[in-house]
Amino acid sequence: MADPSLRRALPSPVARWQVGLAGVLALVGFLTVTQIRTEVLIKRTLRLPSSQLEELGFMLREQERHRAGLEAQVGDLRNRLAEYEKAAAEGRTAVARLNRELQETRTLVGLTALEGPGVVVELNDSTRPPTPGEDPNKTILHYTDIAAVVAELWAAGAEAVALNGERVVSSTGITCVGTTILCNTKRMAPPYVIKAIGDPAGLARYLRRPGGVLELLAAFDFPVRVVPMARVDVPPYRGTFRFEYAEVSEKE
Amino acid sequence: MWLPVVGLMVGIVLGFLFSVEIPLGYVKYTAIAILAAIDTVLGGVRAQIEERFDLPVFLSGFLVNAAFAALLAGIGDLLGLDIYLGAVIAFSIRIFDNVGFIRRDVIMQYRKGGR
Repeated sequence: MADPSLRRALPSPVARWQVGLAGVLALVGFLTVTQIRTEVLIKRTLRLPSSQLEELGFMLREQERHRAGLEAQVGDLRNRLAEYEKAAAEGRTAVARLNRELQETRTLVGLTALEGPGVVVELNDSTRPPTPGEDPNKTILHYTDIAAVVAELWAAGAEAVALNGERVVSSTGITCVGTTILCNTKRMAPPYVIKAIGDPAGLARYLRRPGGVLELLAAFDFPVRVVPMARVDVPPYRGTFRFEYAEVSEKE
Repeated sequence: MWLPVVGLMVGIVLGFLFSVEIPLGYVKYTAIAILAAIDTVLGGVRAQIEERFDLPVFLSGFLVNAAFAALLAGIGDLLGLDIYLGAVIAFSIRIFDNVGFIRRDVIMQYRKGGR
């Protein structure tokens, strides 16, 4: 203010305060208009005043985080579902395969009833009355005879054999207790009916071959009948398998 | 007396001409700036009436007040505390104070002139 030239360059004090006020008021006008327009825009688009923008932003962030979490969860659940589905499919096929194998094994072991073409062999004690002084053993069937016939059937290619309704399996023994024949755990008496599944003609031919057991039995007057059948029913083995001493060998 | 009115008009026209969009995050700050500007204007009017107007004081008061209010608002954002409300209240009180003083000054001057 002391310099007159500076004082001349500047407007008078009255004009100075007016210039200052005008500048600030211009700023006020500009800012107010802009602010109001922005506020109106916010209210129109968001339908809430700008003072709630932070709340809205907070909610948005929260929701976004929540959504991200849910998305991760969805992904996780989808993966697990896929795993379950895969496991279920595998499990189904595995169980089905196991079940099939189990059924095959049961069939092979003899735990299932079987049917098919085959032969029925009927044996009975000799109808011929023993002559005086003759050993009566010669007129009755022995377990060896029955076992021999069964063995011949196996040798002829029989796939399943049953003796008087008792299935002949791997552990079946044919023996005698006194005057009765014991097969599996069942006592038997004549007549003996042996059913075998296999090629009927082949089985019958093998049984009737010269020098066979049946020819020998017939020679001793035992009534022997071999009937080829289109359909033979063989019952399942009803006993148990026990392995008290045997163990599965690791050698093979 | 006409220059401040012209300045206000120019500002309003400029605001309509340049449709500046304030980013949503800064709406709060511009509101405080407006308050600071109004406070400054009223303070300037009062000072002028009391015949102690000083342009550097006037302008620096506006700039520093606005800047400090913005700083407080920023710190409040960082702290999660609405400190800018304090600035709003302070400016509002000052505005009312200034309005009161201007009113009194105008009445005094009117009485002086009337006498």
